[in-house]
Amino acid sequence: MTHRLDKLQPVLAVMLAALGVMTVFSAHADWVRQIVWLILGGVLYVAAAFYDFRRLRTIAPALYAGMLLMLVAVPLVGHTALGARRWLAVAGFPLEPSELSKLIVVIALAAYLSRWERISWRVFMGALGLVAAPAALVLVQPDLGTTIVLLAVTAGMLFLSGARPAQLMSIVASGVVALPLLPHLLHGYQKQRLEIFLDPNKDPLGAGYNLLQARIAVGSGGVFGRGWLLGLQGQLGFVPERATDFVFASFAEEFGLVGCLVLLTLFGTLLIRLLRSAAVAPDRFGELLAGGVFCILFVQVVENVGMNTGLLPIAGIPLPLISYGGSATITTLTALGLVQSVMLRRRSVAYQDRTSPSGAFRPPHAPGVGSLRGW
Amino acid sequence: MIELGGLAPRPRWSLRLTAAATVGVIVIGALAVKLGQLQVTDGSRLAALARSNTVHRIVLEADRGIIYDRHGAPLVENSPVWSLAVMPAALPSSARDRAQELVELSRVSGIAEEKLAAQLLPADPFAPLTVKANLNQAEELAISERLPELPGASIVQRLVRTYRDALVFGHVLGYIGPIDPSQAKQLSLQDYQPDELVGKVGVEAGLESTLRGADGWADVEVDARGEVKKVLAMQPPVAGHSVYLTLDASLQEATAAALGAGLARDHKTAGASVVVDPRTGEVLAMVSMPGYDTNLFTRGISRADYNRYLTDPDKPMLNRAISGQYAPGSTFKMVTATAGLQEGKITAQTLLSCPPYINVNGWIYHNWASYSLGRMNVARALATSCDTFFYQVAAMVGDITLARYARAYGFGQAQGIEMPGVMPGLVPDRIWKQLQCRVPDFNSDACRWSEGDTITFGIGQSYLLTTPLNQAVYVAALANGGHVLRPTLVHEVRDASAHPVKQQVTDVTGSVPASPDNIQAVREGMREEINRPYNMNYWFRAAGVPADGGGKTGTAQWGGSGLDLPTHAWFVFFAPYAQPEIALSIFVERGELSEVEAAPIGVDIMKFYRNNVGAIRA
Repeated sequence: MTHRLDKLQPVLAVMLAALGVMTVFSAHADWVRQIVWLILGGVLYVAAAFYDFRRLRTIAPALYAGMLLMLVAVPLVGHTALGARRWLAVAGFPLEPSELSKLIVVIALAAYLSRWERISWRVFMGALGLVAAPAALVLVQPDLGTTIVLLAVTAGMLFLSGARPAQLMSIVASGVVALPLLPHLLHGYQKQRLEIFLDPNKDPLGAGYNLLQARIAVGSGGVFGRGWLLGLQGQLGFVPERATDFVFASFAEEFGLVGCLVLLTLFGTLLIRLLRSAAVAPDRFGELLAGGVFCILFVQVVENVGMNTGLLPIAGIPLPLISYGGSATITTLTALGLVQSVMLRRRSVAYQDRTSPSGAFRPPHAPGVGSLRGW
Repeated sequence: MIELGGLAPRPRWSLRLTAAATVGVIVIGALAVKLGQLQVTDGSRLAALARSNTVHRIVLEADRGIIYDRHGAPLVENSPVWSLAVMPAALPSSARDRAQELVELSRVSGIAEEKLAAQLLPADPFAPLTVKANLNQAEELAISERLPELPGASIVQRLVRTYRDALVFGHVLGYIGPIDPSQAKQLSLQDYQPDELVGKVGVEAGLESTLRGADGWADVEVDARGEVKKVLAMQPPVAGHSVYLTLDASLQEATAAALGAGLARDHKTAGASVVVDPRTGEVLAMVSMPGYDTNLFTRGISRADYNRYLTDPDKPMLNRAISGQYAPGSTFKMVTATAGLQEGKITAQTLLSCPPYINVNGWIYHNWASYSLGRMNVARALATSCDTFFYQVAAMVGDITLARYARAYGFGQAQGIEMPGVMPGLVPDRIWKQLQCRVPDFNSDACRWSEGDTITFGIGQSYLLTTPLNQAVYVAALANGGHVLRPTLVHEVRDASAHPVKQQVTDVTGSVPASPDNIQAVREGMREEINRPYNMNYWFRAAGVPADGGGKTGTAQWGGSGLDLPTHAWFVFFAPYAQPEIALSIFVERGELSEVEAAPIGVDIMKFYRNNVGAIRA
């Protein structure tokens, strides 16, 4: 059955993870732990691939409820770091529920949206309501970055599920309406980040420092980079959060434009492969699941590279498979494994020839393909 | 599982999926374009910024040379002082930890928390800011122990000049301080750092280039916390040369003690004394009183202390020994005597009267005595300090010639001693006086030289001014038979590895144009003066010192005639008579009677010298 797998996808993931470990090592973070997490993530990847993704529809409500519980628990019993309360201790490991919430929201939305062929306004509002609760809980941690990812993923999945143009426009419109309210909703540091983004030279040694130093690091890499372990800005600690949020700046300084283009090509190829998986999914749930994983990775890559280069405001978002961090790495690999699960259970010519000798495809999303129970 | 014909499953790209893929490709393409702009277009500019972030040139300060006395007793040392510095950028980023650290810093430094916060707020976040300077050793230890818990805080050690007994040595050594704006331009040409300390007065200033050494530098790579990670290149500093002064520390102290005691005896406040070796020009002691605490300056003097010094009527920061200009009074009579003898106006045996006054063109000029002292030769006239005798000699010699002899003895010249602020004094004559008027006027008293000016010039009054240093040079010339020597404070200079690089060389700057016999006749008068019974000789007998030498007192009027201010007291002296080893000048500001005020001070110094000559000359 291995021929059903997307064989390129794990190769891309391993290549990205390898670059990630090299950069994490260079950034003086705990690279051994990162490898342990990658191995753990690899095990979950395989497990997710063998797990029949269709069963996720059944347990989606339970996953969703569990996620909300964890997010509620964070402010009550969570650990604090860098001014935000984000971590739960699970069996001695620090677990970041907001990272897990990205995947669970995708599963829940896919389960919810796949129930309908057409997205009515009622369904549309339901989808927004579904994501509002986790988004609000993550925002108050405070974790603006993950909130943005959740909202962007929701918008992306609504688009992929065939939401009407008017519905999509209403998301954009509400964003425009919310923008003037933003300064009131944001925490002090978040407001500062936004102001710095609008004018990076305003306070070069204070709040604008991170952005400026990251840009200097990226730019000083030049075409070919300073070489692995030879980046000045990264090695000497001028790049803030050099192994996590600003890992891309560390990478760009040492590997240069050539390295960055390789990295973007790997990410781009992986993203296209995820869409291709969506395109071959056996059902609407699988399609939306793969599409949702695409959205998670796409939003994070764009925001992370964007903020490292000064294109987008700073928000604490890891670069998938590159940034140091257990919860994010494990979540990303599990998500990719679920996409493989979709691939394994896709329509194949052989399968269809056996069930439908005429060679005609069964109409997609026909009732009976998946269970609608439980929602 | 069976596969038929190896047919590949064909993906069904819906419109939405195709759109998503297109958006993905376009956005990632946009990121690539932005990266190209940053890394190619702006690459070199940003790389330069990265270098200036990380590569710094630091100055390695050279140790300033030590100043010793002639026997190697240190007169200044570079002692370490510690200060607490904080780099704002390295403080904890969370507001709570930061506030907690401020509380802790406030506790260890004793500075109010609000004051600390106010200091740190506007400061350059990457420049260490001195929060508290001049920590004592106990404070330094206490804070050092806590440093690991205080990110951003550090103890900075600096070497500070600490002068021995500043009230005694201060005027000679001077002090170092920040570069004045007026000096800055001149000094920056010699690679001075803007915050460097330079000699301001005294030999610290006069020997600046010898003592300073050469700073080194190091190009270092620093991390974001400012810690040095790697030294890329360096040039080690070269320590300044050590200077062995001609001073003898014990004689300097004895001179200060004698002068201080002499001043205190008669409730005087200011004076100066210079002791030189008449064979070499070496200054063995130089004291100006009152003194001031030069150590206050090296640690950053408070405004209150500085104002106190500035407004003190006794001007403690004025080094009277080199900068105070006063009329020499009767101590000048040896010049008049030399001129009269050498010009043939008198001989050693010529007898002139010593009336209570003389009348010149209707003006009366008094002797100090209101009775006639009878006819006398020049030696006797010096011994009794007969004014009217020297009025007559001066009138015979004339102002131009008298001025020439005065200059030959070193009057009116800034002596080339190794410190700034040396004043020349003033030797007047009719040409000088005429030049005081912008428009020549031969009738105005302001610029026309009168006969009276010549006559009072002969007893060291008129417009004549001298300094205690000039007086010492002058009496040294009398002691050594007419050689005017450049006074010097530098006995030896040694480099950092104690190799001598320069030794004192006697520098004869001129000779008095007088025959040995004539100079001998003048010296004879000086010997007679200190041997007069019931007069000067009393001090020698009282001190138990043989009056073997030559001396002359002087009581100088000042501030113009008719003001009747308390006179300045002088005493110049050399000893022993046959082979003089020391020559000295004593000056007591407003000392009034020189015989009772200035002379005993000289005798005390002489006594110390005789009793300790072995150690001083070792």
